[in-house]
Amino acid sequence: MLTRNILAPSSPWPVVSFDFRCQVSDKLLTRRYLNYGHDRGLKKHNSLRLRAGFWDSIKSGFLKNNTLQVIETPSEPQEDEEVLPQEFVLIEKTEPDGAVEQILFSSGGDVDVYDLEALCDKVGWPRRPLSKLAAALKNSYMVATLHSIRKSPGSEGNDQKKLIGMARATSDHAFNATIWDVLVDPSYQGQGLGKALVEKLIRALLQRDIGNITLFADSQVVEFYRNLGFEPDPEGIKGMFWYPKY
Amino acid sequence: MLLRGIISTPLPSSLRLKTPARHKTVAVSAHTSTDTKTTNYSISDQALESRGFILRRTIDDLNLDHLNTVFVAVGFPKRDPQKIKLALEHTESLLWIQYNKTQRPVAFARATGDGVFNAIIWDVVVDPSFQGIGLGKAVMERLLDELSSKGICNIALYSEPRVLGFYRPLGFVADPDGIRGMVYSRKQKKRK
Repeated sequence: MLTRNILAPSSPWPVVSFDFRCQVSDKLLTRRYLNYGHDRGLKKHNSLRLRAGFWDSIKSGFLKNNTLQVIETPSEPQEDEEVLPQEFVLIEKTEPDGAVEQILFSSGGDVDVYDLEALCDKVGWPRRPLSKLAAALKNSYMVATLHSIRKSPGSEGNDQKKLIGMARATSDHAFNATIWDVLVDPSYQGQGLGKALVEKLIRALLQRDIGNITLFADSQVVEFYRNLGFEPDPEGIKGMFWYPKY
Repeated sequence: MLLRGIISTPLPSSLRLKTPARHKTVAVSAHTSTDTKTTNYSISDQALESRGFILRRTIDDLNLDHLNTVFVAVGFPKRDPQKIKLALEHTESLLWIQYNKTQRPVAFARATGDGVFNAIIWDVVVDPSFQGIGLGKAVMERLLDELSSKGICNIALYSEPRVLGFYRPLGFVADPDGIRGMVYSRKQKKRK
């Protein structure tokens, strides 16, 4: 699987290594649950969930007509016991001009296919037909995204939302899942976002009782995935491709 | 043996690397996927039928307990039939061979994926009493045919070391260009 351009340092997540011009909000490690006004917000995982809003999201975009409610978590729950919320803020930082940027993780699969195409362009992937991209997303078991949401001071309700990362997994809903297409916007790389994306995706899959999570890694990113808990060729089992195009 | 290549128009698979893809120019058969009778399989549909083996492409009439028996016979762990049912219902393509005499499945293979770019083949099994006569190859050739006729360019699988020699003649390459198959292991995960 192509995970080119993800040169995340092998450091523990989350990595706080922002540009010196930005201040890191002390809310970095507090998980905030955001309800975006439609009922997808805080639903616990539903193993047969269909991404009903997917086609709507293509037409209407994401933060349109939404009320932002922030619900603070009481305390940091035990890593193993908590159910991963479908959407939450990974990182929040306040810039000197008062603007706030949030990196939002979502496993809800709300991807604007045009945004995805633009992101793929940014990382240098060859173009794929939009209809096929849309179909691939629709047929994926889980699509995890990272969006950057930027709120400028004084621009009430006019948030700038940008897709900056994505990873998706196909699955038979019972035993196996395979992760494909992991990508992070080059200007956001090096911050541990790729790691976070994949980690959260794995967590979400495990919570749905998918025991076998697999992927194919380019040689340059084998270490990246090893650090996330993946093992190459376990017990000598080899990944094979049918008439691969080199 | 099916040696069918794919000339694809720009439909890059996730395998595509930095250098522009050099398409593998292999002649593509003019046959459509529905034209199975004249496609060049190692064993034709008729040959299979005449020997009492029926090709099946749906889970109708597939007894999951019998399938589970075959899985266990080849060394897979025994799995919950309900989970197997769930997996098969969410499987994009599958093929199995039913032995007419016993009505039981004797060969099986399935593929999951996103239906456009990628597919992974799982659970390729042949009942040990029926191995060595070409049933595994028969199932694989047809499954690959079905997947490639959908335009899926990236077809992969995970092979145990002892059966690499089964997949290679079918056209599979291990670790092409250094790409490694990786599996998540909870025990393995490095914590902070």
